[in-house]
Amino acid sequence: MSYPQIPADFGFTEEHQVLRDSARRFLEERCPIAEVRRLSESPLGHDPALWKEIARLGWLGLVLPEAHGGAGLGHLHLAILLEETGRRLLPAPVFAAMLTGFALEAAGSAAQRARFEPALASGDLVASFALCDTGGGWEAAEIEASATARDGGFVLRGIKPFVIAGAEAGLVIAPFRERSGELALFAVDLPNRGVRVEGEIGVDPTRRSARLVFEDAFVSASARLDTGGAAMLHRVHVRGFAALAAEMVGGAESTLLMTRDYAIARKQFDRQIGSFQAVKHPIVDVMIGVELARTHVLAAAAALDHAPDSAEIPARMAKAIASEVYPVAVRRAVQLHGGYGFTWDCDAHFYFKRALWSRAMLGDGAHHRRFLAAELLGPSAEARA
Amino acid sequence: MSELVQEVEPNEIAEFRREVRAWMQANKPADPGFKLPQSFLEVESDRQFEFLRDWQRKVFDAGYLGLDWPAEYGGKGDPLKRQRIVSQELSRARAPFLVNVIGLQWAGPTILHYGTEAQKKRYLKSILSAEEIWCQGFSEPGAGSDLASATTRAERTAEGWRVTGHKVWTTLAHKSKWMILLARTDPRAGKYEGLSYFLFPMDATGVTVQPLVKMTGEGGFNQVIFDDALMGRDALLGQEGQGWQVAMTTLLFERGAAEGSGGGQATSSAESVHRLASLAKRARRGGGTAAEDPVLRDRAVELWIQEEALRLGSLRARIPGLNLDRPQALRLMNKLVYSEFNQRLSELACEMLGPASTLWLGDEHAVDRAEWPRAYMNSFGMTIGGGTSEIQRNILGERVLGLPKSK
Repeated sequence: MSYPQIPADFGFTEEHQVLRDSARRFLEERCPIAEVRRLSESPLGHDPALWKEIARLGWLGLVLPEAHGGAGLGHLHLAILLEETGRRLLPAPVFAAMLTGFALEAAGSAAQRARFEPALASGDLVASFALCDTGGGWEAAEIEASATARDGGFVLRGIKPFVIAGAEAGLVIAPFRERSGELALFAVDLPNRGVRVEGEIGVDPTRRSARLVFEDAFVSASARLDTGGAAMLHRVHVRGFAALAAEMVGGAESTLLMTRDYAIARKQFDRQIGSFQAVKHPIVDVMIGVELARTHVLAAAAALDHAPDSAEIPARMAKAIASEVYPVAVRRAVQLHGGYGFTWDCDAHFYFKRALWSRAMLGDGAHHRRFLAAELLGPSAEARA
Repeated sequence: MSELVQEVEPNEIAEFRREVRAWMQANKPADPGFKLPQSFLEVESDRQFEFLRDWQRKVFDAGYLGLDWPAEYGGKGDPLKRQRIVSQELSRARAPFLVNVIGLQWAGPTILHYGTEAQKKRYLKSILSAEEIWCQGFSEPGAGSDLASATTRAERTAEGWRVTGHKVWTTLAHKSKWMILLARTDPRAGKYEGLSYFLFPMDATGVTVQPLVKMTGEGGFNQVIFDDALMGRDALLGQEGQGWQVAMTTLLFERGAAEGSGGGQATSSAESVHRLASLAKRARRGGGTAAEDPVLRDRAVELWIQEEALRLGSLRARIPGLNLDRPQALRLMNKLVYSEFNQRLSELACEMLGPASTLWLGDEHAVDRAEWPRAYMNSFGMTIGGGTSEIQRNILGERVLGLPKSK
């Protein structure tokens, strides 16, 4: 498999630029870092009024079909939007909504999509997708939670940790393993008597999560998304790699700018510290990383728009490089802000924590490179053995 | 693995690419049976030089050089900017590089930019045809990264200028008819304002070209001593005192930060992850191959991701809307990232080869004629020449990020 063809212009149009400009302006005004800080200490972790506004702007339905209240736009639009939300650490669970939309699109029947998508687009429904399973893994083979047919419906068992916005979600979609050994995605309305929702104490206070414990939770037959199991989970993942990478590049960009600004403002030895090459060069390396990662994010989005069936390599490359670049950006931000960077008052730690979260979810650099190595070099020694 | 070019192209471009590709296939010269240089930095013998010059001439005669240059100066004035297609296809075919690199890619575009009508008419066509080879006289023993402290002096005479001084790292000086020369015309003016830019004739009396030997043992670059060497009035390019500005324009072209090249590629052996992968499958290690080693696999893939980022970035660089935050970043970082990528790649190849990487040029058992250790060593020509990686980081920090100057 090789890198697929993408249009030389990435499919970029004026429209994309309009979205970017408006998203940037809106978030600058409505989601400054002081607001992120305030919300990080609030019980819910984000602002429901802002959520409604975001929905009215069409963001939540950006890639959902127009027939269901969405805007019917593509991945490049989404990448551009998520770069902006990542820049501002928007605490609203937009990424979770996107994953949910990917799952409905991949595996939902017409009726299921008609039922959930309008509410998702309007923001009336806070929804999430449970990526991880009992042991913390997220790939198809690691899904242990089970679904057993009973009484015309299904009984779900297992643990789904790290579910974004899990404590407030009215819907969660998650993979479960059926008796046949195959996976199926289930859309579970919450609350459900058999689902215990335990809010988690996360490292990243701008992205709340919960542990969902399915204790023989009963769901009706219509909760089972009716196509495709593991293949559909894979589609959600591939789109997820690209989407999360976009958000990460935005975060890395913000971190870079914050560090740059500090290196200009801060003086020591009667000089701006940014004039020292020991400070300047590491910042430049972050910029280079951000630009290379951004190229991958845009190309992965273009691949998803124009060659969706062969977008896996681009999406994995985007997540791999973003997972290297964002952590370096935040590490340097804390370090180069000096003693101040180490404090609660400095905003760098918010980005730092988001970077840790983002690298850990949906595969880090090593994880994706392992897959890509098989594409480039064939099976490894251990795979052969 | 990636082909060099994977973008979806408009028909007329795709058509042109097919034509060029077919031409390369039919006309690419056969292996001459003697060692060829890997890049323009190590052209040593006459037969190497003649072979390469003939090749450039052939490409020019086929109409594939100067496509973007105006027709009145020997170019084609092609509005479609097809030159980069030719360059890509030259690389793809692994054709020999075009020997007049400094003329095609550095001097030529600078002359197009600053030259008088007479200068453009005089110099440009013979650059394309390789009839006249160019070299660059910028660096001096005491002026490397701090180029503006150059002390080579050009003094006015009744007929023009008299040059005294010393230039180093002068690639191709031994084969050149002309040199782009940065010299001090006004020692009383400021460091930057006292410099002027000349098109200097290498056959002038008072010029001594002495070969320098590189760490690979190869020649190809030189030092040039000027001892009251004379040039005419019309040798000045741009205004007197404008030399720094003109030189910076040349460096933009040299670093691939600006478009406008007459064509060609600087190396025959643009290494790629594709070639690294095929090497990895041949290189023995621990009872298997390097391609099966988990650590080496991971590092190879890091380079693959970089390579795709560079390739896709060259597309992205042409779309202003995808570069609004930092319009110049991709172009200005290109030289740094590309040269460091090449260095890492050739070094990784040596590591993959293990003990076999220790054989050198001339040993009959050397893998790929010792191309890999040679490429690794030669890669430093690119991370040092044209402004070191450290200077590139200063430029990026200051011009792109707006950080304060380092001095």
